[in-house]
Amino acid sequence: MSRAADPSRAGPWLWLGPALLVLGAIYLWPLLDAVRLAFTDATLLRAPTRVSLDAFAAVLSDPALPGILRVTGIFTAASVILLQALGLGIALLVHRGDRRGLPGMAALRALVLAAWVVPGIANGVIWQIVFSEAPFGGLNAVLAVVGLGPVAWLSDPALAMLSAIIANIWQGTAFSMILYYAALKGLDPALQEAAKVDGASALDRFALVTLPQLKGTILAGSVLVTIQTLGTFDSILALTGGGPGQATEVLSLYTYNTVFRGFDLSRGAVLALLLAALSLAAAALYALILRERR
Amino acid sequence: MTIRHSLRLTALSAALTAGLTAPSWAQEDMVTRSRVGPADAPNSMSFRLTAFDLYAQDPKTRATFEALYLDMLKQFPGWKIDTQLQTNDIGQEQARMLEQARAGRGPDCAMIDSSSLGAYRAAGVLQPMNASFSKAEIDDLFPFVRKAVTDDQGNLLAYWWFTDLRVLYRDTRVVPEAPQTWAQAQAAGLASAKAGYEGLLFSGGRWEGTALDWLGNFWASGGDLVDAEGAPVFGLGENRAAFITALSYYADLVTSGASPARVASITNYDDFLAAAAAGSTAMFVGGSWQYEQLRGTLAPEDFAAWEVSELPGPSADAGATGAGGWTIGAMSDDPEKVKLCAAIAKLYAGPGNVAQGLLPTATAYYKASDVFSTPTNLAYSKFLEHGRPRPGVAIYPEIANQIEIAIGAVLSGGDPAEATDRAQQAAQSAYERL
Repeated sequence: MSRAADPSRAGPWLWLGPALLVLGAIYLWPLLDAVRLAFTDATLLRAPTRVSLDAFAAVLSDPALPGILRVTGIFTAASVILLQALGLGIALLVHRGDRRGLPGMAALRALVLAAWVVPGIANGVIWQIVFSEAPFGGLNAVLAVVGLGPVAWLSDPALAMLSAIIANIWQGTAFSMILYYAALKGLDPALQEAAKVDGASALDRFALVTLPQLKGTILAGSVLVTIQTLGTFDSILALTGGGPGQATEVLSLYTYNTVFRGFDLSRGAVLALLLAALSLAAAALYALILRERR
Repeated sequence: MTIRHSLRLTALSAALTAGLTAPSWAQEDMVTRSRVGPADAPNSMSFRLTAFDLYAQDPKTRATFEALYLDMLKQFPGWKIDTQLQTNDIGQEQARMLEQARAGRGPDCAMIDSSSLGAYRAAGVLQPMNASFSKAEIDDLFPFVRKAVTDDQGNLLAYWWFTDLRVLYRDTRVVPEAPQTWAQAQAAGLASAKAGYEGLLFSGGRWEGTALDWLGNFWASGGDLVDAEGAPVFGLGENRAAFITALSYYADLVTSGASPARVASITNYDDFLAAAAAGSTAMFVGGSWQYEQLRGTLAPEDFAAWEVSELPGPSADAGATGAGGWTIGAMSDDPEKVKLCAAIAKLYAGPGNVAQGLLPTATAYYKASDVFSTPTNLAYSKFLEHGRPRPGVAIYPEIANQIEIAIGAVLSGGDPAEATDRAQQAAQSAYERL
């Protein structure tokens, strides 16, 4: 084979080119278009007429934005913490079950994964039925049997946020569980055995042996789940629509409303960039963690 | 042959075709999930529609419209209709379609929600349909409809084929007399709550229905949403006072116990039907079309006890109600496609409304069919004297968004004046950027 015909001499671009083209078309082009729109006065009703920073000024001076960011922060933080905790808990359960050869572990994994494949809108609709406050509503009807409730799951602003978080956790736990399950599978069992021989209790083995080994997974999972949660709006749209008032209107839903109800494409683009910036910050953190691990 | 005879015959023949003959393979081939007409027709027009008629879940409705479409297409040999279904997320669907139309990628013809018509007009994407409608037909439209669908030159930019209005439903066994004022409505709600019911139900969640159902209260208080230029003014001057008054009415219903707190989470009309069917409510603010749904939901003896009346106002002589409905507009500059689009609009406005019992927007149709002369429909046509459409301006969807936020805020204990000022400021800011 001649040197010119040897593909390995062409450098990485030959191999990376197709992937970069596809990724560029799918991810980079929309992002660049959002950047372009953010510096215009474009609306859904007319094409841009000029280049300006007005959309940035409008977003920064929007009196509703601090409230939206606060709601987004609460929703994201609570979701990430609970998703991680539940995902780890279920992964430990399944992993332990696997090691002991208990029957039904595959079914348990499938059950958790079933929620993951439900589309966001359907997830919102399902939980809207569960949280219905009608006298014949799902969860309240069950609570009434034991003499509790009724609970204002969706009409009370604080509880509506809790309901949105529960719906998000129900759907997203599977992703965290998969991450932790894979990580647990990769751990060296010899360390556990050694700790056991040294007389460490189950709690000590978890806190001092298992958790330190999962540090990288916990951090990486947190970042991935954060990005995923920041982009969640479809389930909230179906569950509460962002209400009552703006009690559950997260940044992604606010962006959606700005574009599709206010027809404000440029301000929507700025909000989308803000969302992308928050996600990129999380991704940068992810990259830093990986570098540290290496 | 008069319009009356023509309408009756068309609807009858469609019903007969649909009901008496099993769908043949030939007909199934002529109507698919994405096409009406012969697959090999040389000409085609794209039409984006909702899923409540040609593609309805109800087989009878579906079959009736299939027959109506095929009958209509006989006037257009060599044509087929490429159908595109809209999702139920009306706001997003209408905004996306507008964006596509602006980019020249929209459908040739489409169903446009009356609340979005202003945006389509502002974007200049609608083609006049005057060639298919006489001046007499246009003049026969209800004034509020005619104003919304014609421009200053008298061009018919879309055909508003049915309307609806918001009414008060009540179980006369619990609430014998129709409340005419807000005070009476609150008293009736409290009385029904004491009798073990939920009280007066209404939409208070984040969706368009909340805004439209509440607007009658605002208009009855003397408020206007926009000025002559289309700028939002609902939170300024006398309008502000009306806005606060109407918001306070809703807030008082909840704080007094006349309505349950859960109204803040109601985001669809089906909740009212479910509550009526479960016997948990005796009063709700719903859409005019729900009367027939109620008939299908309740046992005959229970349905007989339910009546509709006009929305109560701040005083007995001050009433208003929001009028909605759908339009059909052409977005193609091909005259033949515009003509076909207009024929579809006439199909819906005439035999289509007869088949579905929807309220037409022109007086001639009321005279043309007995369907529209039932006591309930006659009552609706009387209520429509107080009917007001949503303003046909592009900023309306954002105004509605702010109204929903304001209602949610006051139902959660917020201050009506603060909610009004925030809504006005947000709507004004959005208006300046449009």
